Amino acid sequence: MKQANVYILRLLAALMSMVIFIGHANTQSRELVVAGAGGVVANTSQQIYLDPLSLDHDINITRVSAEARRMAQLEAMVRSGNVLWDTVELSASDYPIGVKKDLLQRIDYNIVDPMQLLPALSRREFGVAVSAYSRVLVVRSDKLPDGDTLSSWADFWNVGKFPGPRSLSGRPEDNLEFALLADGVPLDKLYEVLSTEEGLDRAFSKLDEIKPHITVWWRSGAQSVQLLSDGEIYFSTTFNGRVSAVRESGIPVEIVWNGGALHLSFLGIPKGAKNVEEAHIYAHERATNAEKMGQYIKVIPYPGFAAGLTDYVDPEEFVSLPTHPDNLLVQFSANEEFWVDNLEKIEERWNEWLLQ
Amino acid sequence: MLQKLSASISRWALSAYFYLIVFYLIFPVLIIFPISLSNNTFLRFPPSNFGIRWYQTFVNDPAWMEATILSFSVAISVSILATVIGTMAVLALERRKLRFSNLLSYFMSSPLLIPHIFIALGVLIFTISLGVENSIFALIGAHTAIAIPYVVLIVGASHRQLDLTLERAARVLGAGPIRAFFAAAFPSLLPSVVAAAVFAFFVSFDELVIAQFLMNGRETLPMRIWADLRLELRPTIAAVSSLLIILTTVAMLLAELLRRRTASLTST
Amino acid sequence: MIWPALILLFMFILAPAIEIFRASIFDPEFTTEHINRIFGRDIYLTILWRTIKVSLVVSVLCAVIAYPVAYFIVKRPRQQQFAFLFLIFVPMWMNILIRTYAWMVVLGREGIINSTMIALGLIDESIQMLFTSGAVYVSMIQILLPIQIVTCYSAMTEIDFDLVRAARILGASPAQALRRVFLPLSLDGTITGMIIVFMLSMGFFITPALVGGPTDLMLANLIEMQVEQLNWGFAATIAILLFTSTLLFVLVIRSLSKMLTKFLGGGNL
Repeated sequence: MKQANVYILRLLAALMSMVIFIGHANTQSRELVVAGAGGVVANTSQQIYLDPLSLDHDINITRVSAEARRMAQLEAMVRSGNVLWDTVELSASDYPIGVKKDLLQRIDYNIVDPMQLLPALSRREFGVAVSAYSRVLVVRSDKLPDGDTLSSWADFWNVGKFPGPRSLSGRPEDNLEFALLADGVPLDKLYEVLSTEEGLDRAFSKLDEIKPHITVWWRSGAQSVQLLSDGEIYFSTTFNGRVSAVRESGIPVEIVWNGGALHLSFLGIPKGAKNVEEAHIYAHERATNAEKMGQYIKVIPYPGFAAGLTDYVDPEEFVSLPTHPDNLLVQFSANEEFWVDNLEKIEERWNEWLLQ
Repeated sequence: MLQKLSASISRWALSAYFYLIVFYLIFPVLIIFPISLSNNTFLRFPPSNFGIRWYQTFVNDPAWMEATILSFSVAISVSILATVIGTMAVLALERRKLRFSNLLSYFMSSPLLIPHIFIALGVLIFTISLGVENSIFALIGAHTAIAIPYVVLIVGASHRQLDLTLERAARVLGAGPIRAFFAAAFPSLLPSVVAAAVFAFFVSFDELVIAQFLMNGRETLPMRIWADLRLELRPTIAAVSSLLIILTTVAMLLAELLRRRTASLTST
Repeated sequence: MIWPALILLFMFILAPAIEIFRASIFDPEFTTEHINRIFGRDIYLTILWRTIKVSLVVSVLCAVIAYPVAYFIVKRPRQQQFAFLFLIFVPMWMNILIRTYAWMVVLGREGIINSTMIALGLIDESIQMLFTSGAVYVSMIQILLPIQIVTCYSAMTEIDFDLVRAARILGASPAQALRRVFLPLSLDGTITGMIIVFMLSMGFFITPALVGGPTDLMLANLIEMQVEQLNWGFAATIAILLFTSTLLFVLVIRSLSKMLTKFLGGGNL
């Protein structure tokens, strides 16, 4: 009897440790923390990318909305060694900052783009381009003088012909090129001119002309669009993707593609991120899956470069995308490198110029 | 006769002026209620159709809810800490003849006049130089520091009107100092202590600048409102504001009534 | 008993203040870079003067507007005074963000004022009211006025009305009694209120940021901008500038007011 009891006890012990082991193994699922914009972007991303990814790869994905001071938070995290995010969305202006401050790690394109289908311009060392968006001039068509409309930056500067409150972005990298275009610099010579001292002075003096007529220097895309919708501002720069929401709410607005700035926004992996492999898996999905991208851009019209995207997009919608050939022709490609090298020195001049 | 007429005209004019100013002070707040009940996507006044959509948005949005909960937790901690520490300070200042009691009194009240941005920046730099990571404790600490003057002023005022004879009687009858205090004096102080706690709560709950500087990652309710005001202007803010207005008015009214009740209770 | 409070205040008020001074000059080694920059470029001093100017205007206007209001309340029968004060308290309890937000709605191009004026035919096109200096003044005064009213009121309740009655009995007209007896006695309290409003104004941040135009930024906004760009040393320097100029001006106002009180009250009674 005693021996039987001992055997039973041993069996129980073995069973228990098995249960504990299995239970423990089950809780050791993979994690991924994705950081980016909140609101519509977060919800759409959750539906189209994150939920399926979570199921397919058995990863526990958390989405963090980081709107304000995203880069400051990133820097604080990387410096302290306690990195909470595994991927982070980087706008065109954030990416160079992230590179310069050494906050990102190298992307392993063997995982993200094994078949090398992405164009070279979207495969950056520290980030993969996941969407293209444009900064364009948008006008309230009901606030225009009869029969006329703005069709260039020179028109925006023409306060006599087109009177009305105006708004521009508060950041130098969103404005200097437009100033030069308004001053007559051709699209393909933009950065050549801007790289010189004279070019810089030329941009600033052109901006001096328009400065008294700028009512607000907007701080975010949502604000610029709210201002247009409120009628607080008649002509403003903004991001192309936000315009359809305004139109749908009944406000007449038009995009002026001529002279627009095409930007790429990236997905980056912070230095010291905890779940690097899962981060790469997400990056792969986000950058190369054409079908999902087709669904995504129905809500947020910032297309990426997934091969075969045209198969999944309506021809009519395609016309209002920044990557439509007609639109691409009249825009310039924003030069990220130029701003990586020059942002700091120009920013100081810009900030003080803005305060005057 | 003329003097009497001009006297009553000037009295009437003063009355009208008073209500005009009151209108100026309250009027903007009153329009928030109708806006919060609008169903428009973008902010518009007057709203074209009505509904409680934005209240629903507020309650259903995890970002707003988290911010509210965080603000509540911080404010409650601040309220408790500030009330306890402040009341202790009052007792120390009023009862013991400390050498520098006047100076200390001023020191206690100093946070009232220091701009929050100064405190915010200082605490930020201080916590960074100490390598402190947990921003919530720093926030609670800073908020408590700015709430203490209110506690000291409110409880101090009521303590000054306290009749200590009851407490002394208790001591004579053999009760220890702590027991005597809690049994005899504290009940009369209680309303003002509660009032001070409510004030301290709102000092923290409404505070923006210090929270903005210290919190990285999480948001308090004022931070969330501020972000939306600067970046976007959905009527959700109106819904949140309406709720805040109701909450603040009711709570502060109670606090103010309690404070006055103490004053009437303790004055002989 | 008093130690917890002292420790708390030391940790969160005093020590941080010292840190600000340190950060301004040691970044990380001793440097006068920030001090040079603040005094070297015109723009920072311009913003300083602008901040001072706005604060002075706001505090004077508040004092002038608040005085009759406080007087009105003080003249009410004692029991009623709380009810009237309540009307002043309620807006004072409101979160500044909410009050400023309300102004954004009221002053917008399609806001209440513009819409009403257009509907009444007073104007053809909406006027720019938001993002102007006017908007900043109007909202700052609305936020700070209750404080001035309450301070004035506290001072006025201390005044013994028998003195005023005595003057009347001695033959003074109501206006004279007011001017020569009541006014000088209430002046001290009014000036105290003005100083408090001035100090609070100097540190204002939310209002100019939300309803002001690009040329309405005040020192506190500047500090916030620098913190956002992670330039703590320079932010600290601006903060010190803010603090010292506030202190300086408070002292100036205080001594001016002492002279004023002597001038008005001295030699009369």
